[in-house]
Amino acid sequence: MSTMVFQLLITGIAYGMIYSLVGIEYTLIWNSSGLLNFSHDKLITLGAYIFGGSMIIKMNLDNPIAIVLTLAIMGVVGALLAAGIFNRLYSMRSNIFAIIGTVVLAKIISEFIRLFWGSGNMRVSGWLDKTYFIGGFAITSANIVIIIVAILLVAVLEVFFKFTKTGKAMRCVEQNKKAAALMGININRSICITTALSAMICAVIGFLVIPLVNISATMATTIGLKGFCSGVIGGFGYIPGAIAGGIFIGVVENLATIFIPAVYKDAVSFLLLIVFLLIKPTGFLGKRAQGR
Amino acid sequence: MNNMKNNKNMKNALKWAVVLAVVLCLPNIIRNDYWMVVFVRVLINIVLVLGLNLITGLIGQMNLGSAGIYALGAYSSALFVKNTGLSPWLGLLVAVVTGIVIGLVLGYPSLRLKGVYFSLTTIGFTQVVQIFLNNMTKVTGGSQGLKSIAPFSIFGFQFDSYIKSYYLYVAFVLIAIFCAVRIVNSKWGRLYRSLRDNSDAVEMSGINIADVKVKAFIAAAIFGTVAGAMYAHFYGYISPSTYTVDISMNFVLMLLVGGLGSVSGAMFGAVIVTILPELLRGLGNYYLITFYIIIFLGILFFPNGWVEAASRPIKKIIAKRKKEESASGEK
Amino acid sequence: MEKNSILKLTDVTKRFGGLLAVDALNIDVKEHSIHSLIGPNGAGKTTTVNLITGVLPVTSGTVEFMGQNVTGKKTYEIARLGIGRTFQNIKVFQTMTLLENIMVGGNQLTKMGLVRTILDFKGAAGEEKMLREKAESLLDKLGMYHLRNEYMKNLPYGRQKISEIARAMMTDPKLILLDEPAAGLNPSERAELVKVIQQSFEEGFTFFLIEHNMDVVMNLSDDITVLSFGKKIAAGTPAQIRDNDEVITAYLGSAFVKNKEQEGAE
Repeated sequence: MSTMVFQLLITGIAYGMIYSLVGIEYTLIWNSSGLLNFSHDKLITLGAYIFGGSMIIKMNLDNPIAIVLTLAIMGVVGALLAAGIFNRLYSMRSNIFAIIGTVVLAKIISEFIRLFWGSGNMRVSGWLDKTYFIGGFAITSANIVIIIVAILLVAVLEVFFKFTKTGKAMRCVEQNKKAAALMGININRSICITTALSAMICAVIGFLVIPLVNISATMATTIGLKGFCSGVIGGFGYIPGAIAGGIFIGVVENLATIFIPAVYKDAVSFLLLIVFLLIKPTGFLGKRAQGR
Repeated sequence: MNNMKNNKNMKNALKWAVVLAVVLCLPNIIRNDYWMVVFVRVLINIVLVLGLNLITGLIGQMNLGSAGIYALGAYSSALFVKNTGLSPWLGLLVAVVTGIVIGLVLGYPSLRLKGVYFSLTTIGFTQVVQIFLNNMTKVTGGSQGLKSIAPFSIFGFQFDSYIKSYYLYVAFVLIAIFCAVRIVNSKWGRLYRSLRDNSDAVEMSGINIADVKVKAFIAAAIFGTVAGAMYAHFYGYISPSTYTVDISMNFVLMLLVGGLGSVSGAMFGAVIVTILPELLRGLGNYYLITFYIIIFLGILFFPNGWVEAASRPIKKIIAKRKKEESASGEK
Repeated sequence: MEKNSILKLTDVTKRFGGLLAVDALNIDVKEHSIHSLIGPNGAGKTTTVNLITGVLPVTSGTVEFMGQNVTGKKTYEIARLGIGRTFQNIKVFQTMTLLENIMVGGNQLTKMGLVRTILDFKGAAGEEKMLREKAESLLDKLGMYHLRNEYMKNLPYGRQKISEIARAMMTDPKLILLDEPAAGLNPSERAELVKVIQQSFEEGFTFFLIEHNMDVVMNLSDDITVLSFGKKIAAGTPAQIRDNDEVITAYLGSAFVKNKEQEGAE
């Protein structure tokens, strides 16, 4: 029994870390532009396809080279999206347009993926698919890598926002766009950098979920929506909140399978989302959350 | 002054009469089953979008839960009819009751939640509905869905062909339009729009916002569940995979394309977003991406909807002509 | 003859965390009068209005309106009892026409529910006609009838402000709270505002006015209450307030009072 609980806990934390990363990735864009990016799950999918579909399976590149190249491509994609589209969307008069704009963008990306890579599923063999046995526990290399990479990524982001000039400027934009603009910070440039960063995090999430799900057009849909849940539950628009919320739902939904049929696992996160929105819409860490 | 108003009313009535005539003749012009199914889908979508317009178009809260409402309407009516063997008309009534319940359940949270928070709740709602439909296999048939759902019938006359269903659903749509027009053009429509602009001022006018919003949600949900029942009894087959967050987004898209807040806009959007992809099918593999790029450019460049964008230059010409007329009149 | 009081605040206190925004405030607004609440920025004037209308809950104290305790009631309930209000930063319906803005104000006068509105053609038309005629006659009185079909966002700021008063008047309130109506108006708009308030007062409305502009306050008010840092520092007629040193100190600083004394000595 306790072995099973421990096993579920590890899986829960690993999944939770994925949700946390999703939470971070869209919170960055939300904070810099007030846009809720509904195309983020397709960016994750795009990252996975570029890495798995093209670099590894087609071109047979070494893993490190493939990772660096994919990150670079996704960074450029993010910057282009921001410059061409997000900068336009965020200044629209109603956020309904902005959100649906990103929704349609998601459809375009997803169609592009279908046309470029075909609609079949893909598997990347030899990528994080080992399983280790420690004592009586089976731990997959995917879970270990997810946890390590997520922690490293959060640390790197922390350093970036606290100690670099660009990072500090981005925090200013997040707090007050008007004041930041008056101080001579270029908001459009800030949104570009944030979106590029966000797209690169999407790519990382793409790498990490390849061993968990097949590469397919809808591989990230549920993960993307649960990322929204993690943001709300932890405190919307607040990165530590997104991290805490992500780990929370990852652990809860996995432990819940002890008591309820596993098929209802996904419902747990969404019920938690609704309960939190009704009882504590600011989330458990949210102090600055506001209805926008 | 009065004369001008009458004239305008006449023109409007004439416009609607022409549209209705085209709609009624359509099956005789296009004798093609494939297109008949598309047209019926347009009719169903119009009913749903007219309801969505109340919440998203007028009150301005983005409801991304249409799929959940739509699904519950379809399943409640279909399950009722399948399990009791009674008439689909009673199933429709069950769907209406379901709509009232959803309106109450979804309406109350909306009172406290603004903007994105509301949208996320409605997404959560849709996901939960879909997960339960997929997994409560004994009741809903699970991912296999429900088969052979009876079509509507009146005194033994079965609406079992595409053309018969089409005419029945045209009648449904006319009723839906009637209700939507009466709401949008009444004090309620005005109140909803004022809520979108500033709810504090509305409350200070002595209006119980909670009450008004919940009732709007109930009305909207009834449109949605009726559309769901129409779907179930037309296709005779429903499965959870139809009711994704994706189609919720599609419904909002219809609203945006037509322009938020107007009945004719909602209808126009439902027509365009349903039919345009079918027209583009000639492009083969590229038809969907072309469609979405067209829609995307529309959102970027005509944020007030295509109707407004198209009529703007015409209005300009009319205004100019009026100015000239009055100027020459003064001389 | 002593007038009856219409609005009575007794020891109303509001705390925001450690900040005492309104401190044991007593105000008595008489029926058919114009009562002004003045004070420097941050004195707690708008907070007071929000406490009266139930937008903010009071920490302690009671608010009575026409002899009825309204403390803790919801905003819309208080509005229904007969308190209308305008806002410091105007809250109008920008995407609607002027006439529609005013008509929303009167929505509470109509009784038909959603279903009846759909089915009852004659009744709905009747309600609509009643609202329209009432709104049009109000606009006519305020000299804005010709603007009725203009979109609110296209009207000048001064017109938007006056339209808020008209919207508040739609429900025939016994008392109208005006939160800095003259702020941001140019002199001619301000003159028009004074005219509107004066004229409405003569028709029987009672006003509770929050204002910075001393010309407006001194011209219109019957009674004045002065707030400084949440505390009432003076109350009385315009003449009494004009000569009150404490008020002048609160507004202009103590140096000004000393100067004035020296002038007097010379």
